Amino acid sequence: MESLHNTEWDVLIAGTGLPQSLLALALSRSGKRVLHVDKNDYYGGPQAVLSTQEAEAWVMNTNAGTSLFSDAALSIPTPNPSHGSPKLSFPRAYSLALAPQLIYTQSGLLSYLLSSKVYRQLEFLAMGSWWIYSPQALNLEAPSGSPPSPGQLIRIPATREDVAFSDTGIDLRSKRAVMKVLRFVMDYENQAEVWQPYSSKPLSDLLTHCLKLPSSLHSLFLALTLTLDKPQRTTTSYALPRIARHLRSMGRLGAGFSAVIPKWGGMSELTQVACRAGAVGGGVYVLGKGITTLSTEAESTSVLLGNHDTIRTKWIVGAPDDLGPCTGCPVSSSVAAEITSRSIAIVSSSLESLFPTTFEGSPKPAGAVVVFPVGSLGQSQHLQDNPVYLLVHSSDTGECPVGQSIIYGFCCGESQGLLESAIATLLTAVNEPSTPHILWSLQFKQHHPTDSNQATSQNFAEATQVLSFPPPSSDLVFDDSILDSVKSVWERITESDADRGDFLVFGERGALGEEYDEA
Amino acid sequence: MSDGATPLPKPSSSVKLVLLGEAAVGKAPNMTQSSLVMRFVNNDFQDNKEPTIGAAFLTQKCTLPTRTIKFEIWDTAGQERFASLAPMYYRNAQAALVVYDITKPASLIKAQHWVAELQRQASPGIVIALVGNKLDLVASAGSDGEEVEGEDARGVPAAQARSYAEEEGLLFFETSAKTGERVAEVFTAIAGAIPETQLKGPRGGQRVEERRVE
Ligand SMILES: Nc1nc2c(ncn2[C@@H]2O[C@H](COP(=O)(O)OP(=O)(O)O)[C@@H](O)[C@H]2O)c(=O)[nH]1
Repeated sequence: MESLHNTEWDVLIAGTGLPQSLLALALSRSGKRVLHVDKNDYYGGPQAVLSTQEAEAWVMNTNAGTSLFSDAALSIPTPNPSHGSPKLSFPRAYSLALAPQLIYTQSGLLSYLLSSKVYRQLEFLAMGSWWIYSPQALNLEAPSGSPPSPGQLIRIPATREDVAFSDTGIDLRSKRAVMKVLRFVMDYENQAEVWQPYSSKPLSDLLTHCLKLPSSLHSLFLALTLTLDKPQRTTTSYALPRIARHLRSMGRLGAGFSAVIPKWGGMSELTQVACRAGAVGGGVYVLGKGITTLSTEAESTSVLLGNHDTIRTKWIVGAPDDLGPCTGCPVSSSVAAEITSRSIAIVSSSLESLFPTTFEGSPKPAGAVVVFPVGSLGQSQHLQDNPVYLLVHSSDTGECPVGQSIIYGFCCGESQGLLESAIATLLTAVNEPSTPHILWSLQFKQHHPTDSNQATSQNFAEATQVLSFPPPSSDLVFDDSILDSVKSVWERITESDADRGDFLVFGERGALGEEYDEA
Repeated sequence: MSDGATPLPKPSSSVKLVLLGEAAVGKAPNMTQSSLVMRFVNNDFQDNKEPTIGAAFLTQKCTLPTRTIKFEIWDTAGQERFASLAPMYYRNAQAALVVYDITKPASLIKAQHWVAELQRQASPGIVIALVGNKLDLVASAGSDGEEVEGEDARGVPAAQARSYAEEEGLLFFETSAKTGERVAEVFTAIAGAIPETQLKGPRGGQRVEERRVE
């Protein structure tokens, strides 16, 4: 293997998570000498994609070390003998995403993927319906003392037409109330006088007092915030922009969807494409080698990578997870970390009914969101005081074989039991001819410090600056603030380059041979 | 092939082709004129067009009697050097060119490693061509690449590589990127070997490029 010694690098990027990879892309035409390493032998760090076999190794590593993730456990139920139902396929048939985030169509990320020309190497699929689980029918007209009907999945209408014309299980009177809220949120900036007084109060207060929405329907709007927090903690000022983001993204890139997901395992694909752009631009890529130590002698700082390679560099950039030895503070010790319980389940059914095409001419959705509002999983022995979110991906995502699907579960706190009962409830509620079952599942916890969102920096001797990205949040949505922190790091590194151009805006490469001439 | 008059509409499909092989065997598009890809891409253009470093992939059409195939030629961008080739590199690749240097036996070993890697990571139907390059360095090679008796720089007998290729179901050629010998044939053969059923229009899926982001 070649050696990395004897090069004076401009930038050492540690870790191939999303912010680092986007930085590599941003620097790919800067002429800087970039060395991009990852302590793992795969791309993506906390946004990686795993085959079922790689997941086994990931579980062992996760439990052995201190990282953003902990308490990983696999469970593979003994195969159901019922004949004809799909079996677990070979390991590489699966691309399970550690970061199955959805990207709203108004996200700045999509514009940057276009302006940086890497979108040609990516495929995006539409997220389809948002479902909400209700243990009883949502009918306002139903007499309050009537016996509980079996639970059902209600499709959340996200446009006024949808509310008016779709059969979503919402009665007429409720539809009018929902319509009113939709109109309000679409225009909330101009109606500050209405919601300002509720700014730091729960969204529910606004919905009840100002918009007269019956409380049984609050969950429809809370679900659109995609927040893992309790409703009492979901303030109006936090929720309104998030609901508006959903509504306004609708139809932007095509009828019937508001968000997209990258094919082949979520954000991982993005990290790989961005890193490739870094390599095409001359960056050197080394997997399986992280920062071991940083030592400062006289004026200069040297970095030991793995066990053998000592290098010098002007900048070191990474996420806290990758910079441990530089900053001297492992992630786990950073103030109060919140925990999200997560799970990934391979299901023996395509769960077709969750992916209806709701608008004429809209692409076939490959993903769905299923929300279990607080209290909706009441029958289970676990008290449910946080909402549970399930992201369901069809085989169109390339994450599993045809005839199967993947369910990604999220819930705040120590909630593995709730995730399990949410999945079990979903599999019953979908009403498939033969009840789908779980072929394979992975549970784990994700830790995320509650403090800073900012990129931080530290000086080492004169010669080396260490910049740290914030650790990934547990948001279900791609967080545009990542773009801001990558941009600020890029600005600092390229500060003195007169011709650095605009962030992530690249001209066409004078391609050889044929031009890219796709119409 | 030029961007002049619109050609007669012929079914045209994009094919992703990935390049693999040891360093300096003569494959990569971004360094030298004497590389297989530069030969293929530039042959019918101005010969001294400056190679551009940093395109994500190069494209070149290959016209067969019945159809036109547009190769998207991807190189590893050096990511293979420290075993850091990403799965996305193999993704959807319908063809692979695995190149070795016929003067260097070690480069064939490396090529065999890449063939194994492709069989593990790429789609099952991928068309793989094994190409022994630098044929011009081998004195008095027969026109079909068969070696003749005598002392020359050849380190890998054609027969040895060919029988390996046959075993693994690979296309096999010996070429010279320097003289251009048999380079076009390699690409034409790959184009011809891609099953009709594998061909589709420009790659499918819900792609952002097809839409406008304001
Ligand atoms: N004699 C000869 N030299 C070649 C041929 N193909 C490539 N080379 C030379 O081999 C060297 C390595 O080529 P390069 O394209 O950089 O190899 P890569 O690392 O596989 O991309 C360069 O000096 C080329 O000029 C060939 O067919 N014959």
